[in-house]
Amino acid sequence: MTAAPLPDDLVLHTARFCRLLRGRGLLTTPADTLQAAQVLGLVDVLDRDDFRLALRSVLVHRVEDIGAFEEAFFAFFTNPVAGPQAWLRRNPPLRPKQQRTPLSLERWMRSEGEEAVRQEALVPAPSTLESLRTPDFRTFTDEALREVTAVARRIARRLALRPSRRWEPARQGERPHLRRTLRLSVKTGGELSELAYRRRRVRRTRLVVLADVSGSMDLYARLFLQFLFALQHSFARVETFLFATRLSRVTEELESRGYSEALEELAAEVRDWSGGTRIGECVTAFLAGFGRLLDRNTVFIILSDGCETGDSAGLGEALEAVHRRAAKLVWLNPLLGSPDYQPLTQGMVAALPHLDVFAPAHDLASLAQLGAHLAV
Amino acid sequence: MREDIRRIQELMEREGYVTDRAVATSVYLATTLGKPLLVEGHPGVGKTDIAKVLAKVLDGDLIRLQCYEGLDANTALYEWNYPKQLLHIKLDERSERPLGEREADIFSEGFLLKRPLLQAITHRGRPPVLLIDEVDRADEEFEAFLLEVLSDFQVSIPEVGTVRAEQRPAVVLTSNRSRDLSDALRRRCLYLWIDYPTLEKELRIVRGRVPGLSEKLARELTTFMQSLRRLKLQKTPGVAESLDWAAALVSLHASELDAALVEETLGCFLKDEADLRAVSAKLAQGELAALSSPLA
Repeated sequence: MTAAPLPDDLVLHTARFCRLLRGRGLLTTPADTLQAAQVLGLVDVLDRDDFRLALRSVLVHRVEDIGAFEEAFFAFFTNPVAGPQAWLRRNPPLRPKQQRTPLSLERWMRSEGEEAVRQEALVPAPSTLESLRTPDFRTFTDEALREVTAVARRIARRLALRPSRRWEPARQGERPHLRRTLRLSVKTGGELSELAYRRRRVRRTRLVVLADVSGSMDLYARLFLQFLFALQHSFARVETFLFATRLSRVTEELESRGYSEALEELAAEVRDWSGGTRIGECVTAFLAGFGRLLDRNTVFIILSDGCETGDSAGLGEALEAVHRRAAKLVWLNPLLGSPDYQPLTQGMVAALPHLDVFAPAHDLASLAQLGAHLAV
Repeated sequence: MREDIRRIQELMEREGYVTDRAVATSVYLATTLGKPLLVEGHPGVGKTDIAKVLAKVLDGDLIRLQCYEGLDANTALYEWNYPKQLLHIKLDERSERPLGEREADIFSEGFLLKRPLLQAITHRGRPPVLLIDEVDRADEEFEAFLLEVLSDFQVSIPEVGTVRAEQRPAVVLTSNRSRDLSDALRRRCLYLWIDYPTLEKELRIVRGRVPGLSEKLARELTTFMQSLRRLKLQKTPGVAESLDWAAALVSLHASELDAALVEETLGCFLKDEADLRAVSAKLAQGELAALSSPLA
């Protein structure tokens, strides 16, 4: 390649343009800037489209950033042309991540349509009342259900196939099993006539999920239920429990074929829907009744805001026991999604020392990130 | 437009790949700078075809690594041919040759099973095109391994030593975005996003690839597909589906689209039961006219 020497001010402008991109949230590194200067020698810089497309292929690394790039390019290199505008018309500009995330949640709030629910969800106020109200889940749009399902499926695929470091004998394997091959050769007098194979064991992760469905968690519990339903349908090894003041196992209910059927069964099952929260007691009840579900391949997930109305010391003890037996203890707290939340409630303070992962779960994006935490 | 880019575009078009400036510029820069090209886009917009056409344009071989979940370094790079080695030891049992020599024998190139990445590195002749297809399907560990290979184009095989590429292959990675790729991998690559084509581009593609299609039918079909993409479908059909459908229509000797014909051939471009039902319902309500009439 023969790169003609570039005019200094063009290089300078390009460098400043890269800085502008950084300011707009693109991951433009100094290496990218160098690369940008390099490609300018390879294209006709007087041709605007060449110039733009060349910079774009170097400075943009993901499709979400193309809109921001086009906008910045248009603003920085001021001559108006049709190209970027047309692109922007077809692909509306990038929504920054912070703004994008709460969308799905807002939709649920709106579809709920009552201010009371919003209040309840945003201001965590524990209630000791064991309410007997029947929950109505059917407020979700199909689209939301689809999105959640897609996220769950992606996570399930990752969980289902994690090769372990260990080997096991196999009829069709990737490597010969030398010891077994030699053993087989004994019957032919030391003649190696048959090869035995081995392959990597597949590590099977099991998920045990305890979802808080008390009043303060109402809104998020619905989102999470949907997620659990989808997860359980694409990944067999999930055990699901719901709790508020009592613990109930709902794995079977979620097993039914349709979401709406599952919800009907659930509504019948979970009588204490949206009452107060006794996390400690429920975790203890879980240990007593279902403790056998925990082993070194199990990830234990609690979804709760930590507004304990029972005994918080008991919660700490129960979680310590879980932590000893499970591979990982994950606490998902939807309130963590809000920037000024501090885990100061008694329940949360008691729980924190025993957690492996403390993560938000208030919207789809945070659920999608969950995949990374679920690997054993 | 720079002459070289125009030439790339011409060459790609000559090989039957309808392209635009963004694609041509990225391909040109990737080959000139010797950097991998990461192509993302919806399914069926011709990501994989870029590599195939590039191989033809550069007159090199195409070496393809199809990624899948659980793909590991062994399957991607090399493996020793154990059965052959065992057999060789057996045959060589009575030989008087020194042990070291015999050992060198069974760890020579003849016993090495070259997988795509090693093939690309040791390729002789014109530089090949290495297509790493659907890299998003492989896991993060493999991605990290890939980064290592792509940055040096050399691998070390303990028994043989370090193998270095004499000439760097042109590398094309494709991703369907089923998983977000790491920033490190993205940075290492030039980036190209292929959107669904515009009506004109799709018309050119369909006409170029399905010769027997009449002008009228081609226009109706592409208009229909374009409006189909605006609907909210589970699986939005790509260009590949347009081509399948066009080929099907040609073999049915169709001359124009009507509701009955579309209904019969829905399966060519809709691959989801819910979508089938939704579009059938629209057809039954006589909305076909709105879908296939050319836009003003």
